[in-house]
Amino acid sequence: MAGRALSLFFLLFFLMPLGLLAVVSLYTSPEMAAMGPTQYAKFGGDGFNWSVLFATLLLGVKTVALTAVIGYPLALVFTEAHRRLQPILLFVIILPLLTSVVVRTFAWIVILGRDGLVNRVLMDLGLITAPLRLLHTELGLVIALSQIEMPLMLLPLISLMSRLDPNLKDASAALGAGRWRTLFRVIVPLSLPGLLAGCLLVFSSSVTAFVSQTIIGGGRMVLLPFYIWQQATTLFNWPFAAAISIVLLLSVLTVVVVLNALGRRSRAYAHV
Amino acid sequence: MYPGPWEEGYRAVVTPYVKRTADVEVITTPLLALDQIAKIKAARANPPLDVFLLDPGPAVVAIEDGLVDKFDPSRLKNIGNVNKAFYDDWGVAVAAQIVGIAYNPKKVERPTGWKDLFSPKYYGKVGISGFGTTFGTSSLIEISKLYGGSETNVEPAFEVLKKWLPNVGVIAQNPVAVNTLFQQGQMDVTYTNYQTVSTLKARGVDIEFVKPDTGPITFYTTIHVVKNAANKDNAYKYIDAILSTEVQAALQKPPYSLLSVNKNVPLQPDMPVDLVKSHEELAKFVHHDWRKINPNRAAWIERFNREVRQ
Repeated sequence: MAGRALSLFFLLFFLMPLGLLAVVSLYTSPEMAAMGPTQYAKFGGDGFNWSVLFATLLLGVKTVALTAVIGYPLALVFTEAHRRLQPILLFVIILPLLTSVVVRTFAWIVILGRDGLVNRVLMDLGLITAPLRLLHTELGLVIALSQIEMPLMLLPLISLMSRLDPNLKDASAALGAGRWRTLFRVIVPLSLPGLLAGCLLVFSSSVTAFVSQTIIGGGRMVLLPFYIWQQATTLFNWPFAAAISIVLLLSVLTVVVVLNALGRRSRAYAHV
Repeated sequence: MYPGPWEEGYRAVVTPYVKRTADVEVITTPLLALDQIAKIKAARANPPLDVFLLDPGPAVVAIEDGLVDKFDPSRLKNIGNVNKAFYDDWGVAVAAQIVGIAYNPKKVERPTGWKDLFSPKYYGKVGISGFGTTFGTSSLIEISKLYGGSETNVEPAFEVLKKWLPNVGVIAQNPVAVNTLFQQGQMDVTYTNYQTVSTLKARGVDIEFVKPDTGPITFYTTIHVVKNAANKDNAYKYIDAILSTEVQAALQKPPYSLLSVNKNVPLQPDMPVDLVKSHEELAKFVHHDWRKINPNRAAWIERFNREVRQ
């Protein structure tokens, strides 16, 4: 019964709007009179749109890379930490999730701005003479997004790592493997499904992070979520906005499917 | 209702006034002009709002799209306080806005006109926004005019922008970010509404308003009854309250700084002496014809994306 109610809810509030989006994307003009794949042809026929799509996906890849590079060692530290310390660490990890995305984003303006924290410290230390341009650059955006999305990388990693049998490490050591060898031959392969789950979450959420992208990225970084917003609410071209949304959805979905397949293979590998 | 000082002013002044004089409860929804249109467009038959407040560009869009009910001035007691030029078949102006240049007096010299925005003196310190906002569009049109363009030809502005881009300070496409970026010192010069400057100043930000030497731009924000609105009588009572002398005078005081359209409310002494002395002077500021601007705006917005993109 509860299952049926839940699937009805899913149908009504998720699948139907999604279906509606697909239908709207098939109108040929903003007046929504005739149907046809015009909007998709318009998207595909313009190199600008492709470069915006590519830049958006690349932003996701860069954010994933940075969160993985920082997040993985952090997760290792967490699992090695004292049991009493772990709840405190966990609280620090999920702290970014407890503040509103708007607040976090504006805080990054204060940190990265021309008069911001980073520039002021560097100038006071005499390391630079003129303020660095950090805000409204891709680097600044990737750094900010990595902080904002970090919990999504850490939580799956930590949950998987803390389930690993601690005897495995001793066994590896008893068989003569050093600490690094144990890490790369035992821990990393076994935690791969967690890493992939983290990558998946961080990717899909950073690619669609409208507020952070427009405010920290600035007006010179045209990315798909901004493009959709502009088409829908400034230009009232709902069919084109819907078509871009479907393109973004399919692109993210493709990446998710690939990462999921990799995740399944890595789990199989870990169980050998 | 626009978020920020508009919302604050209307909540603080108009809502209690309507409650007191006409016993009408008002629900204020903070939304930018185009978001209001989007919301009403999505539910034409049963619109979520009864009245909406629009800048001239979006107002033309809403009227052409059939979202606005015919305006009947005879239903307003206070319409006699308002100059005939301020209302038409579709709505009535509730405030005048002035667009010019804002700068940080502690950091940069006072700019004098639009050309200064691109002068080497201010390289790296100027922030601009595109054709997505009324003040952005108006300012870029004025810049075009200086280089031979017009209300329908902004090509010269794009050429100036292209040359200037390597020395850009900020390009903010999300208008919400502009105030914060100014406050945080990310930019020291920008174009904006006088009212924004007044609000930021009241919060202690180092900001001053400059009337460009070629004349500041003025436009009127208008209020409209939504077609198929559920509470039309109350909608008119609300509009009537807004136009009353008491409300117009209160909304004109800083930090709201919404310039009155009511004849009985002198623009002095609430405004700084050099901004605008009288309704006659205001009428001499630069006005734009949004019926001419709107058909090109979509193409300009798309073009702006492409020109500024890195």
